[in-house]
Amino acid sequence: MNNPEKSWQKLVDAARRAPAEGDLAAPFGFSTRVAALAFEQRPAPSMFARLSLRAAVVACALAVASVAFNYSAIVSAFDTDSAPAAGDDPIADVVNLGT
Amino acid sequence: MPDDQSFDLAGCLGRVRQRDQAAARDLVEHLHPLVIRIVRAHLPRRVSEEDLTQEIFLKMFSRIDQYQGAVPFPHWVSRIAVTTCIDQLRAQKRRPELRWADLSETEAEVLDSVMTNERDVAPDEAASAKELVHKLLDQLKPEDRLVIQYLDLEQRSVAEISALTGWNQTLVKVRAFRARRKLQRFYRELIEKERS
Repeated sequence: MNNPEKSWQKLVDAARRAPAEGDLAAPFGFSTRVAALAFEQRPAPSMFARLSLRAAVVACALAVASVAFNYSAIVSAFDTDSAPAAGDDPIADVVNLGT
Repeated sequence: MPDDQSFDLAGCLGRVRQRDQAAARDLVEHLHPLVIRIVRAHLPRRVSEEDLTQEIFLKMFSRIDQYQGAVPFPHWVSRIAVTTCIDQLRAQKRRPELRWADLSETEAEVLDSVMTNERDVAPDEAASAKELVHKLLDQLKPEDRLVIQYLDLEQRSVAEISALTGWNQTLVKVRAFRARRKLQRFYRELIEKERS
């Protein structure tokens, strides 16, 4: 039995003797197709697509600006206790009327 | 199609940059033999030779403005072809295990003869030897396969492989060493499985 290195060398020596396969020239029409694909004009984006993209950007900017502008109001709304004080409850006032 | 000697590559490139389709056709026809040799040497399974060649040329045209002339244009195109083939081979991911039963009768005879050293491979078995080499190379990682293909089959120098791939020469040598070890392991496994 040959060692693997030697048998590999023998195998590639034999493989190199194999005739080159196939034609090396470009198939008929290949270069025309590739040249056409390479230079094909990309369709310009439609007016609607361009405007909607701008509108989305403007809407995002407005949303951020409105949050920034009302930041203190938003924070204070979360900070204040939302439960009504007992003294402000009209039902409690009616119930306690007689006492 | 202009022949190799009379082909004005610089002039053709200038016209291609000005989006001249006739010049683009000439360039494709001029470079097709170079690109198709690389594609055939590294063609992944289930990928059409023509589709892969087309992809390489489209990449070449899309990047042609980046070509600065630091290396000869055919070298620059070869590198695009090599990296595109490696990307395609990587995309395959799974490399099916090669078994003795996957070999044709002639391939099995060729493998037997190189391993036992009983006789030389006959000239009419060269095509089977080539097919067998490709089946064994298919077991390797794309980068390892490429190094062995260039070193052993095409007998290119380490410097040439380095120029083609952009890998430094030490990396090429390390990859070749590892790839040969893996090939020897595949060899042994193939034989042991056949015996068992």
